[in-house]
Amino acid sequence: MGSLITANIKSRPTRTVISIVAVGLGVTIMLVIGGITSGTLNDYLNRTMGMGADFIFQPTGASMLFAFSGANLPIAMAGKISEVPGVGMVTPVLAKFSASDFGLIFGIDLNSYDKFEGRLQIAQGRESLTGDEVIVDELYARAHGIKPGAQLTLLGHKFTVSGICRTGAMVRVFVPLKTLQQLNESPDKVTVIFIKAAPGVDKDKLFGSLKTAYDGWSIIRTDDPSFLLADTRLPGLREFRYTIILVSLLLSFMVILLAMYSTIFERTREIGILKSLGASRSFIITMILRESVMISCLGAIFGTGASEIIRKIIISAFPTLQVSMTVGDVVRGCLLGLLGGTLGALYPAYKAARMDPVKALSYE
Amino acid sequence: MSETNNEPQTPCVIQTNDVSMVYRSGKIDVPAVRDVNLEIAKGDFVAIMGPSGCGKSTLLHLIGGLIQPTKGQIYIDGIDIATLSDSERTAVRRKKIGFVFQRFNLLPNISAWDNIELAKRIRGNGYLNSNGASQVINMLGLSDKIRFRPTELSGGEQQRVAIARAVINHPSIILADEPTGSLDSRNSRAVLRVLQELNDKLQQTIVMITHDSEAASMANRVIEMRDGQILEHAQHLSYEPEFEGLF
Repeated sequence: MGSLITANIKSRPTRTVISIVAVGLGVTIMLVIGGITSGTLNDYLNRTMGMGADFIFQPTGASMLFAFSGANLPIAMAGKISEVPGVGMVTPVLAKFSASDFGLIFGIDLNSYDKFEGRLQIAQGRESLTGDEVIVDELYARAHGIKPGAQLTLLGHKFTVSGICRTGAMVRVFVPLKTLQQLNESPDKVTVIFIKAAPGVDKDKLFGSLKTAYDGWSIIRTDDPSFLLADTRLPGLREFRYTIILVSLLLSFMVILLAMYSTIFERTREIGILKSLGASRSFIITMILRESVMISCLGAIFGTGASEIIRKIIISAFPTLQVSMTVGDVVRGCLLGLLGGTLGALYPAYKAARMDPVKALSYE
Repeated sequence: MSETNNEPQTPCVIQTNDVSMVYRSGKIDVPAVRDVNLEIAKGDFVAIMGPSGCGKSTLLHLIGGLIQPTKGQIYIDGIDIATLSDSERTAVRRKKIGFVFQRFNLLPNISAWDNIELAKRIRGNGYLNSNGASQVINMLGLSDKIRFRPTELSGGEQQRVAIARAVINHPSIILADEPTGSLDSRNSRAVLRVLQELNDKLQQTIVMITHDSEAASMANRVIEMRDGQILEHAQHLSYEPEFEGLF
């Protein structure tokens, strides 16, 4: 049967190539968009954990993706939290999403922020954040071709780059907290408060104390990434992922369905011949499914290769964007492409298996 | 699939009892085969002749289990295939019947070798380089053509490949539907010689539809059909059909 399948694939090169490309496209969409989503999230999580805070304090229902949270937290809470026994230090942050850069801007109090492990490590310029000053990380500076002293327009406001910090800080752009509060028209409000336990304090106990003292507020431990990624805190992410998977699956499904459906009509006589030779329905179904699996496999390989090329292009064109593509992602993407292709071939295979052999043999 | 209780008493490899086949064309019933009773013994070489539309091919398709009769019984090696399901008839066809068609019906994208091997694979008999396949291929004079695709072969060669495909699994019966219909006289004679040789040497039962009286003369029995019915069974070898002038 193998030679027949290979021959059929080779004998219809246009159909085969279009099918392979379409299945590959589905795999590519899933890998690239999924890769950007998870890459950005993972990068963000790593940097959040790298901040060195033990707890993240937010209003209930706020998202760990600070872009989705507003400025709902009174800054006065920072002072009150710092008075809780066992709390070593706190720093309030106002996060604002910049659509032009597709990234977060942090309004910070540099003094308290720099006490944390993830403090800004200045590579160029000065460690100063007052008035209209801005500190960007090296990747951002390289991507935008800016140096200390350069002018930068953010959120419709002109800033001067005072310094460039090492990549790895929580976000890539930092401005003074008060300036961002003014721009955001939310004085005395912040998005999040980072909390660090005092040295030697039992974090479990402190967590309990904070929970008791601030019942009804959201306090997240940073030592467990699953807390950070709890679905309820990432609105629409799961739906977005499912949509991408569904679109990819549908693409493979529809293309293979169409290709195999038209192919079995072209091959009506061939199916009649197979039936006259005594080929069972399962033989014919298997033959068509194996053909579609082979096409889907080639599509998955093509899609994986294309995704890797696109990933490299994205990283080179947009250095601040992270595209994560693990072996697991590739395997999942390929399996979904394969699944879509196989499901798409099921109906044409069923139709072929049920053909009337006499009519099929007389088909011109 | 089960053996029926009404097994034929004679050692026939093919037996039909009052077999009829009616096609429905719109609101009209068109009888293609009417009350056909036929007995073919093992090793027979039977030619079926008759004008176009007389039901020859329908009868062959019925015997081959490609279609189910409207009424009657068809015994193949004692199994009434008229009562079987589609998959059971397919299984009987796979094990006991080999088809040869007028238009060869080889798969064009694969080699002659692969075409023959496909029949073995469908039968579940493994690959072609086993079970004496080379004997059949040599006998049909295909040794040097076996790697060619059908489009690279002459009509006669293609038909010999089709015959090889039909006999490779050693079926009880070969059903040939105008096997020389698309061939010139030289190739026709070659193909008929092959069929005769298969009949003589391997005791292969052959039922052949033909319009050609020379082809029919190769058979040891000729059956004439008209209007879906068998007119007579002729035993002589130099049969002259009464409808000769119709073509």
